[in-house]
Amino acid sequence: MSEQSFQEVALRVALERAMARKSDEYDQSARRYADQLVGTKLDKTQIRGLETLASTTDKVSDITDWLKLRVGRDSGRERWAKEGIGRDLVKELEGLRNDAKKIVQGLGQGDPDLERQVHLRLCREFLKHLAAHFEYLKAERER
Amino acid sequence: MSELAYLLKRKQSIVAWSDRWQADAARFADGHRDLLPKRITNAQLYGLGNVVRSVGRYADIERFILHQAEKAERAGRLDVQRYWNDLKDALGKLRNEAQVLLKTFPLPAGTDNWEALDALHRELAGLYVQHLIAHSLYWTPAQEDSRRRER
Repeated sequence: MSEQSFQEVALRVALERAMARKSDEYDQSARRYADQLVGTKLDKTQIRGLETLASTTDKVSDITDWLKLRVGRDSGRERWAKEGIGRDLVKELEGLRNDAKKIVQGLGQGDPDLERQVHLRLCREFLKHLAAHFEYLKAERER
Repeated sequence: MSELAYLLKRKQSIVAWSDRWQADAARFADGHRDLLPKRITNAQLYGLGNVVRSVGRYADIERFILHQAEKAERAGRLDVQRYWNDLKDALGKLRNEAQVLLKTFPLPAGTDNWEALDALHRELAGLYVQHLIAHSLYWTPAQEDSRRRER
């Protein structure tokens, strides 16, 4: 393996580790959102829809645009607009950019798009936890 | 640059551009918040979204916006006319953005430069409008409540 390839692999491993650590940190925060969301009229299809979008899009803005639209359409304030939950979640996801920035700075990497890509991955991780907690809590409630 | 490498590079550039420009589109929506949703309705915004997604030339988007501005002027709704004119300027400026992006990925041989620029301009306008619509509709009840209390 060439020196350059070795460095690329080492960087990739360090990046995956840093994101995995952050993902574990998000678990509690995601659970708090799930707690709040089960108190709305949202069902698991809608939460799964958000998770699926996050895992398939290549843009962070697609995720926040999706949420903004649903907050805006919830005139009954029973779903994404209930008690500002959707707005808080948009802010939370946008705020993960700071974590992405720190991770990339820690790696000393020069790819200008890497921070954005890490931000997207962190959003996916956060929403993965949120969706799992939501389904669990919803099932508990319905038992 | 091969066709495949070009398409990949183009896609990556557009994706990064879209995330970068979301804040600009949100500022545009916030800057015209007083017109939403009564003077500029959700239906008008969705109509704009449909036009931007379906046209074959950037000029068609501009024609639609100019038509909206003219209708507003005829009805004496000058604030609404200003909204559409501001939007025409905001989207028109994206042509420079398209030019800058195009320089970062040389076109495959045989590609018409003007067609490529116009297609990219249309795509950027579409993404800008997507952000604009989402942020324009993003109006939480809590915000409305606090506004009512302020009055």
